Amino acid sequence: MQAFEKYRSLRLLDSLQFLRGIGVTLEVTLLSIAIGTFIGIILGIIRCSKNKAVSSLPLIYIEPLRNSPLVTQLFLVYYGIPMITNWMPSAFTCAVLTLSLNTGAFFAVLVNNSIKAIPQGQWEAGYALGHGKTSVFIHFIVPQAFRLLIPQAVTLYIGQLQCSSYVALISLIDLTKTGETISLRTMMPFVCWGIVFALYFIISFPLSKLAQYLEKKNEFAY
Amino acid sequence: MIEVKNITKSFGDLTVLKNFTVNFKEEGVTVILGPSGTGKSTLLRCINGLENIDSGDILVDGLSVNDKKNLRHIRLNCGMVFQQTVLFPHLDVMHNMTVSPIKLLKLSKKEAEERAEFYLNKVGLISKKKSRHNELSGGEQQRIAIARALMMNPKALLLDEVTSALDPEMSSEVLNILEKLAADGVCMLAVTHEMSFAKKVASRILFLDKGSLVCDEPVERFFRETRNENERISRFLNFIGE
Ligand SMILES: Nc1ncnc2c1ncn2[C@@H]1O[C@H](COP(=O)(O)OP(=O)(O)O)[C@@H](O)[C@H]1O
Ligand SMILES: [Mg+2]
Repeated sequence: MQAFEKYRSLRLLDSLQFLRGIGVTLEVTLLSIAIGTFIGIILGIIRCSKNKAVSSLPLIYIEPLRNSPLVTQLFLVYYGIPMITNWMPSAFTCAVLTLSLNTGAFFAVLVNNSIKAIPQGQWEAGYALGHGKTSVFIHFIVPQAFRLLIPQAVTLYIGQLQCSSYVALISLIDLTKTGETISLRTMMPFVCWGIVFALYFIISFPLSKLAQYLEKKNEFAY
Repeated sequence: MIEVKNITKSFGDLTVLKNFTVNFKEEGVTVILGPSGTGKSTLLRCINGLENIDSGDILVDGLSVNDKKNLRHIRLNCGMVFQQTVLFPHLDVMHNMTVSPIKLLKLSKKEAEERAEFYLNKVGLISKKKSRHNELSGGEQQRIAIARALMMNPKALLLDEVTSALDPEMSSEVLNILEKLAADGVCMLAVTHEMSFAKKVASRILFLDKGSLVCDEPVERFFRETRNENERISRFLNFIGE
């Protein structure tokens, strides 16, 4: 009965804290996927340039970020920036900054691949009707590329939500960090981590279903 | 209206068109014949500015394709339809037809839709105006592509083997439409292997081989005399079963 009491008190006292943890996790994730998406769209379009020098420029940014662990990037920003500048960004700023840049790198590749997946014939059909490059891009390529992009973007976003749990390592009180704190205090790791697990799942699962649905819905042959 | 002046076009080491010269007036149907890989598509694509030419010049309405600023005017005046039909898959038939005249010719939506209905009637597909490309047969898609090109009121239609990818039944649907358009006075430059179409509809035949113009003649003379005089041409015509 004592254990049961303890369990109840855990729920009452700490449910608010879990909620706050979700809040931080969502805030970091949403902010960084918004910024990352913006970066990714711009760089993804630059990657499509016919001019090799222009199109490979974004790779300087994209490749290192895609080919190193997010945790390393996070530590580099969190511990590194105060060392080489006199700016002392908060853990939250570092988290958003790193995740944004990381999302941007992956998103740029998705954008680039989606645009390149549109058959050359679609461009030419647009040109043949008298459209210029920008006009073809806006009216015919973007809507088609967008359909290819959406499900992949959702999948990336889910991944970034999960990766955001690394921000716990730079002492930001996100959902994971909350789980750790409460678990240590209550000595009930299974329950606490179970709750954290369930909360991530509850957010991610509908999104991954959405991605699947969008993927099906947007299938079209040329 | 279209003056091709001594153009050369290569892809890497392969010279596809060599010092090629030809003129087209804004009238009638010219059929371009020739074996595969001789540069017929390349010629049409150069006229429409889809390929850059290495040397020489092409003037459409007196405007050079070498000047990028002219491309829009040139393309509006030379509608092009490809062998592989390209409808925009994210748009239904009506929007496929209206998006360009609304954006480029500044027609109102209503004007564009009226014009689209006119041309859809012309190609016999008014009932399909809400369809998507994957709900249409190959022949229907090609007829829509022709109607879509006509929406821009081009002075000439460039047709690149528009029936080659179709089975005989569908291809005769498309050829019937082209015949009707020719009777309406639409000027066409058509690459095709359909000899009966050429005989019936064309006024002029060009024969290309290995990137140069072998002959350029009125259709009657081509089928009565040239085909017997020129060995390459008679071999080609025999080969395609004509
Ligand atoms: N984009 C391209 N790159 C390289 N070679 C090409 C390209 N387009 C056409 N060719 C080559 O040019 C030649 C002429 O092609 P094409 O104009 O399509 O011939 P046709 O339409 O008469 O069959 C062919 O040998 C073809 O392989
Ligand atoms: Mg061809």
